[in-house]
Amino acid sequence: MGILPQLILNSIIAGAIYTLVALSFNLIYSTTKFFNLAHGVMAAIGGYAVFYFSKTLGLDIHIAIVLGVILTGFVGFGVDKFIYLQLRKRKASNMVLLVASLGVMTALQAIIAILFSSRFKTLSGNIDTQKIFTILGGVITQTQLVILLSAVLIMAGFVIFLYKTQFGKTVRAISDDEEVARIIGINTNKIIGYIFFIGSAVTGFTGILIGFDVGIEPTMGLSLLLKGVIASIVGGVGNIYGGVLGAFLLGFVENFGIWKISGEWKDAIAFALLIVFLIFRPRGIMNK
Amino acid sequence: MKQSTKWIIGVIVAVAVVAIGYFVLKDSSDISAKTIKIGVIAPMTGDLAFMGEGIRDAILIAKENMGNTKNRYEVIFEDDQLDAKMSASAANKLLSVDKVDAFVTFSSVTGNVVAPIAEQNKAVHFGIASDSNVAKGKYNFIHWTPPSEENKVLIAELQRRGIRKLGIFKGNAPGAIAVIDDLKEQLKDTNIEVVTEQVFNSGEKDFRTIIAKSKDSGSEIYLLLAFSPELEILVKQMRETGITTPITSIENFEMSEQLDLFEGEWYVNSADPTADFINKFNTKTDKSPTLGAANAYDIFNLIVAANEKVEGTSKPTSDQVVTELMKITNFSGALGNLSVNEDGIIVSKAAVRIIKDGKPVTVGN
Repeated sequence: MGILPQLILNSIIAGAIYTLVALSFNLIYSTTKFFNLAHGVMAAIGGYAVFYFSKTLGLDIHIAIVLGVILTGFVGFGVDKFIYLQLRKRKASNMVLLVASLGVMTALQAIIAILFSSRFKTLSGNIDTQKIFTILGGVITQTQLVILLSAVLIMAGFVIFLYKTQFGKTVRAISDDEEVARIIGINTNKIIGYIFFIGSAVTGFTGILIGFDVGIEPTMGLSLLLKGVIASIVGGVGNIYGGVLGAFLLGFVENFGIWKISGEWKDAIAFALLIVFLIFRPRGIMNK
Repeated sequence: MKQSTKWIIGVIVAVAVVAIGYFVLKDSSDISAKTIKIGVIAPMTGDLAFMGEGIRDAILIAKENMGNTKNRYEVIFEDDQLDAKMSASAANKLLSVDKVDAFVTFSSVTGNVVAPIAEQNKAVHFGIASDSNVAKGKYNFIHWTPPSEENKVLIAELQRRGIRKLGIFKGNAPGAIAVIDDLKEQLKDTNIEVVTEQVFNSGEKDFRTIIAKSKDSGSEIYLLLAFSPELEILVKQMRETGITTPITSIENFEMSEQLDLFEGEWYVNSADPTADFINKFNTKTDKSPTLGAANAYDIFNLIVAANEKVEGTSKPTSDQVVTELMKITNFSGALGNLSVNEDGIIVSKAAVRIIKDGKPVTVGN
């Protein structure tokens, strides 16, 4: 079988990470309809929060993770409440919101770098402490298994949340038409605030998982966001299943793409996939 | 207050401002006429900050120990985080604002960015860099053990250990490319074969697929050429994937702060600095010299020596300094007796080291 099982596993792990980002990006984008560049930096906030709670304050790692996720959710909520909401109230265009999000991203990255330095940090301990599993000749670590399970569980959670709860119906109503949702009595700004909390918390959790798997740095969010956005566009923006499909397709295309050619082409392959979809199927796989 | 009093106070303030301005400008122009300004561009923050700090400390030690000189020397440090965009911006700032006469840069990435700027502005530039392109032009020099020297030592060590199959992981950076191009050339005359060569971009964090690609290559040792943190992540992911094959490197192990990751592994590095330099560095910093620190120390002293040799009372021009630099032979430096060759490269020797108890130990030249 050679390296095939390992390539498949690598693709699935990459797909799982992209899924988590694509899901949360899709959730926020579908309700606000603007490209929130600051979304990626939430991954760094989650990672650094856990680093601070566990390594600096010495809290139990599980408590640190919970606190990290909640804190990231609140940062996302706060960014919406104090910046984006104010701009929306002034009828700011999506371009203004995009530029504002660029400012938020830059500012938050700078704050993290000032507080923790821009040096790369890891949340995991020694290599020897990591459990390693072999599946059909391919190797997967304990952290990667957690990433995979988290992607499945969070996706399932999103489906239940959006399609089986009253709150989910409200969110979908805003996604369909915010103006109409407001006319029928939905407090759209409040719901969007909650959406920012949930989306940011999920991205924060993704950052924590990446921190355990690879490591964290203040600028980690942008490349992660770009991959999540590619996955969303390829799968279909605003569509949960599309985001997941796009994420795994991206993971497979990236990893199989560099099977026979040099690894330096990895990012180029990802963006080539995006360009192909933008030209031939701009609404993505799932959206007609 | 009377109107006339206001006028008097106004005139006094105006005269004072003009007088202070005149004397400050006169003073600074006098100083700048005799001051040689050296701009140092190195990573002072980020993952390689410890190396930039080593370079800064070494230059400050050299400045403290330079003795009496006819010119004044001022050093201005700029942080570039080893990011080419920041290197260019730092070089332009040093030229336009600080009016530096000479540059010192760290890494081939930064050296390649600054070399054309230095050449265009006729400023002397010393790169602590592997890539010989950094020394292209009249005003550019390199003080770093050249890849040819390091590869010679690497190949000798591989042969001594009976290794015939070499795997390579390299970052897509000018320094690494220069080293591998030279290595392949030198390997042509040996029985050592490169069985896999994996390239990745700077900033890459997921090496699992390229590791999988090289796993069945039959490599007896992997040569890793990457900066921090890619180097540490690569090693971690290699170990997680179950690769137990030995690893080696040229210089890069000492560019990491996590030396315990490479415990027991041998590698090639520039030769040890002199005991005198190590003592001076230890005394000032309480640390061992980092990679490139001895080079930075020598570069400062070479720039000073060349400037001091220029005859006349006016400030030496870059052309005069270059002429003096090209004449330098057997200069007693922290890395031994140094000479500048016709390509503007100061050739120093390489050595084999091993990481023992988390520290680099030289085992042979």
